[in-house]
Amino acid sequence: MTYLMITGRTVNQGVTVENKTSPEYAEETSTCHMHEFDMLELGLDDRDAILVTGPCGAVVMRAVASREVEMGTVFVPYGPYANHIIDAGTHSTGMPDFKSHEVEIEPTDDEPKTVHKLMEDLGGLAYDR
Amino acid sequence: MSELLIRNACVIDPLKGINAETMDIAIRDGKIVEDVSSAAEVIDARGALTLPGGIDSHTHICGTKVNFGRYMSPEDMRAGRTSRCGPMHATSGYSVPTTYGNSYRYSAMGYTTLLEGAMAPLEARHTHEEFLYTPLQDTMANTLFDGNWGIMEAIRDGDTRRVAAIIAWTLQAVKGFGVKLTNPGGTEAWQWGKNVSCIRDPVPYFEVTPAEIITSVVEANEMLDLPHSVHIHANNLGTPGNYTCTLGTLGLIPDLNPKRQTLYATHIQFHAYGGSGWKDFCSKSEPIVRFVNMRPQIVIDMGQVMFGRTTTMTADGPMEFNLYRLHHEKWSNHDVELETGSGIIPVLYRRKNLVNSIMWAIGLELALLTESPWQCLLTTDNPNGAPFVKYPEIIALLMSKKYRDAEFATIHPDTESRVPLPAIERELDWYEIAVMTRAGQAKALGIQDRGKGHLGLGAEADVAIYPIRIDETDPSVDYERVIEAFSRTEYTIKRGRVVSRKGKCLVDGNNATFWVRPEVSDDYDMEKDPDFIEKFDRYYTVRMRNYPVQEEYLNRNRCIETEAEI
Amino acid sequence: MIVKDVVCPFCGCLCDDIEVEVEGDRVVSVCNACELGTTKLMGEKRMKGPILRDGDGWREITYDEAIRYAADMLLSAERPLLYGWSGTHGEAQCVGVHMAELVRGVIDNTSSVCHGPSILAIQEVGHPGCTLGVVKNRADLVIYWGSNPIDAHPRHLSRYTYYADGFFLENAFRDRKVIVVDIRKTETANIADEFVQIKPGGDYAVLSALRALVRGKGETIPRTVSGVTREQLIRVADLCKGAKFGAVYFGLGLTMTPGKYKNIRNAIELVSELSRHTKFTISAMRGHYNVYGSNEVNTWMTGYPFGIDYSRGIAFYNPGETTAVDILARKECDAALIVGSDPAAHFPRRCLDHLADIPVVQLDPYPNATTAFCNVQIPVAVTGIDAEGTAYRMDGVPIRTRKVLSTDYPSDEEILSRMYALMQEERER
Repeated sequence: MTYLMITGRTVNQGVTVENKTSPEYAEETSTCHMHEFDMLELGLDDRDAILVTGPCGAVVMRAVASREVEMGTVFVPYGPYANHIIDAGTHSTGMPDFKSHEVEIEPTDDEPKTVHKLMEDLGGLAYDR
Repeated sequence: MSELLIRNACVIDPLKGINAETMDIAIRDGKIVEDVSSAAEVIDARGALTLPGGIDSHTHICGTKVNFGRYMSPEDMRAGRTSRCGPMHATSGYSVPTTYGNSYRYSAMGYTTLLEGAMAPLEARHTHEEFLYTPLQDTMANTLFDGNWGIMEAIRDGDTRRVAAIIAWTLQAVKGFGVKLTNPGGTEAWQWGKNVSCIRDPVPYFEVTPAEIITSVVEANEMLDLPHSVHIHANNLGTPGNYTCTLGTLGLIPDLNPKRQTLYATHIQFHAYGGSGWKDFCSKSEPIVRFVNMRPQIVIDMGQVMFGRTTTMTADGPMEFNLYRLHHEKWSNHDVELETGSGIIPVLYRRKNLVNSIMWAIGLELALLTESPWQCLLTTDNPNGAPFVKYPEIIALLMSKKYRDAEFATIHPDTESRVPLPAIERELDWYEIAVMTRAGQAKALGIQDRGKGHLGLGAEADVAIYPIRIDETDPSVDYERVIEAFSRTEYTIKRGRVVSRKGKCLVDGNNATFWVRPEVSDDYDMEKDPDFIEKFDRYYTVRMRNYPVQEEYLNRNRCIETEAEI
Repeated sequence: MIVKDVVCPFCGCLCDDIEVEVEGDRVVSVCNACELGTTKLMGEKRMKGPILRDGDGWREITYDEAIRYAADMLLSAERPLLYGWSGTHGEAQCVGVHMAELVRGVIDNTSSVCHGPSILAIQEVGHPGCTLGVVKNRADLVIYWGSNPIDAHPRHLSRYTYYADGFFLENAFRDRKVIVVDIRKTETANIADEFVQIKPGGDYAVLSALRALVRGKGETIPRTVSGVTREQLIRVADLCKGAKFGAVYFGLGLTMTPGKYKNIRNAIELVSELSRHTKFTISAMRGHYNVYGSNEVNTWMTGYPFGIDYSRGIAFYNPGETTAVDILARKECDAALIVGSDPAAHFPRRCLDHLADIPVVQLDPYPNATTAFCNVQIPVAVTGIDAEGTAYRMDGVPIRTRKVLSTDYPSDEEILSRMYALMQEERER
């Protein structure tokens, strides 16, 4: 199924933002807020793992039901998970399309990676694991 | 110890009564002295025109609105770019250059002291931060009090001493130099989207009139014994027929100070308009100047308009909104809580536009008709009338009837019937130009006793040597040479150091900031006034302890302490 | 020891009424701040000293070595990128600009991925705004458009708008109306008098419809516009025109959605239009506590608020070309200095692919996502906790942050000044 992925700030993202290698930050920014009917359709329960595929890759997150989003739209707190699948094109403005990506979502048996692992997959080296 | 000797300088130093005498100037450790040792570095001026460093008593170079003018105008930034070169940093901008751009270009023209014309107290720290990056001029800031709630309440209560007390506290807190009123009362009305039409219109809610604000603040300014007088941008700027409002404003002012004027009325060109609308718009420079010529308590500056593109910026928010509705260009506005406001729009002054042509003529008429050059100073209200780099052209226009006629032939043909300019024969001389660009400015600002604006013993060694011999130049004919000479000094010397040579800046300077601390009695110390503190904490969004500008923001700290009557 | 009137170095609200209790070199309690500010002020887990990546491991190095490394990296780079700057004080930002100029690098700040589009719009049509206190004392209508202050700027409502005491309002809370426009029914939407829910990507159309209504062209409005009914649009337009003082605060919901700067332009033009009827202002909800300061510093020193390229010697500005995401995605820069931000957490992955390939030095007190891509990280004091300096609030009001405790960590300004001195020495040789 195709959804519109929106990213944005949340209190918990802000609280954990100075401690980005913590499990709390990983948990907050790997949470995909979905309408409960959309979850029903995909056969998802709260905190089930999902594979979210965007124009430049896929990443595992967890689905959580939210009353804030409409059907067809999902919300992910701003951070490394959403950015793992966001395209770097800016249409000559300097600003990527952080709030208008179409993504595919399907259930998965994989677990979300840690922030460290995500960074290492891209060629980094974790420091304080 | 550093010593410098300037030989064979053709000096004009109006504050010392020196008019074109060839002499030597001795400098030790940044001050003018009697003589120096034989080890001193020597500059041979070869009879070139040598003046005290230039002073601009009204310019917009630093602070919130100036920076917003840059921020919103990448097209202006692209219109003037230089690379890093030696000690000079890269610069950008034409009408609102970056701080380094301002500093280098003013320095190349021989300017060593600048007064920022409008600083909102709440945002003063910003102005001072930019001063730190204006390295080649000493700086000072006029502080805005036109819509100050505490002051308007004190005026409503008839308590002028409290008005003075609030000014005293604010000036020392924000490291301000002078008291500025921009469209008094109008900036507060504008926070409701309204304005005041002239000096008798009450300000909404506060129920005081601009006239009451002006007279009380003028009185308070003298109670505090401030070096500069109140500095006013009168109500009703830029509207046809506004000269009556200007005359009304000037008419409020008694002669209260024997050392200097009691009111400095800035950019009078914008306030000398006749007509009932744009259709019959005309010059009213004559009645304004007639009034000024009879009143030594008034000093004005020109606010000359020059043709071309520039950016207008002022604390007068409602005026900028009116301009926006005329020009339909981009418009910015920035109201400041409990204090004042500001607005910005870009403009293009065109020779083919009748109104613009009349404005151009009015500025020149003001300077040519005012009998004493000490009473009409040379400004463009940079960058409102034109960027300051146009000053040399203005000097040449004032010195040459021929040049004026040549320019007049290129402007809107109907101008002739609306302005007296073509009939004015006067050509200003070198001495008068020296008064209008430094000596008069120092006197009006009250800083001649601080060693500014002259080359007397003990003065700050700020000197400009222009590549022109006045005994060999007839300015009424050789106006092109006059423009060239005033555009680029041979040497600009700041605090005894050559900072600029033939347009190239040689050092990364270190400016001084002049500010005022009036000494008031405990009863009038607002720091301890419960009512003032309570209102501050309730209605400002910054805590009173976080409001004052710390001394970290001053490179060279020049505090002027005054004895207040309160 | 209790320190009063502390300035919170988290978001653009720059609250300056915080009280903190300090014991030794630790903050033990925080009063008045929101959850975000409290957590930052009490922050722990700082990096102990500079680290250097050594093959597949890390080793500790001295500050001198780290500074030397950074200076050499920038001097030998052909097209260095100096990015971040929003999380540090203005004095450090100024040194950054001088460094970029010296090495002919590109200097960009985080606004290119937050309110950069707002700045582009302002450069087209200007910006009618005001300080926060003007809104606090006067506004009887506040509109949050594509912003969610309860989550991102938690005290905005209580200090400056909805719940704040206002001089001209008898009972501010009752006398003020709040309109929230968003695609999500956020926490902020829940307290609104009027919630306007727009279909994703529909902001531009809704703004145009409101402009038409304000101009008296209501007959042109269809039954719904991007999911908003005609009736609601009329109601909102009437609320705006009927207000004595209206204030619009917009967030990334306008800058990051399709249309980007054109959305902001439309919003500003709506406010300019409303200014012909009543008093109206508009302002951006700036994120980092000093992102606006970084724009201000860049502007007075270079002429441009962000995305400045010194490769030709002069300052050159062309967002989309000279902005960090584009430069990294095009694999253009050959070294990066990161100060006061965390691009690895906030940039699309293609940018990180390139960060992994080039030398990177970061100044940051904490290990963060970008640490993984660093060759060297230099821990610094936190501005507002153990360093002081200037920050600009979201409305342009500059405030000097306080130092509430002393540590051995050098400030950003100290580290950068030492780097710059080394670089100048080298270049003058």
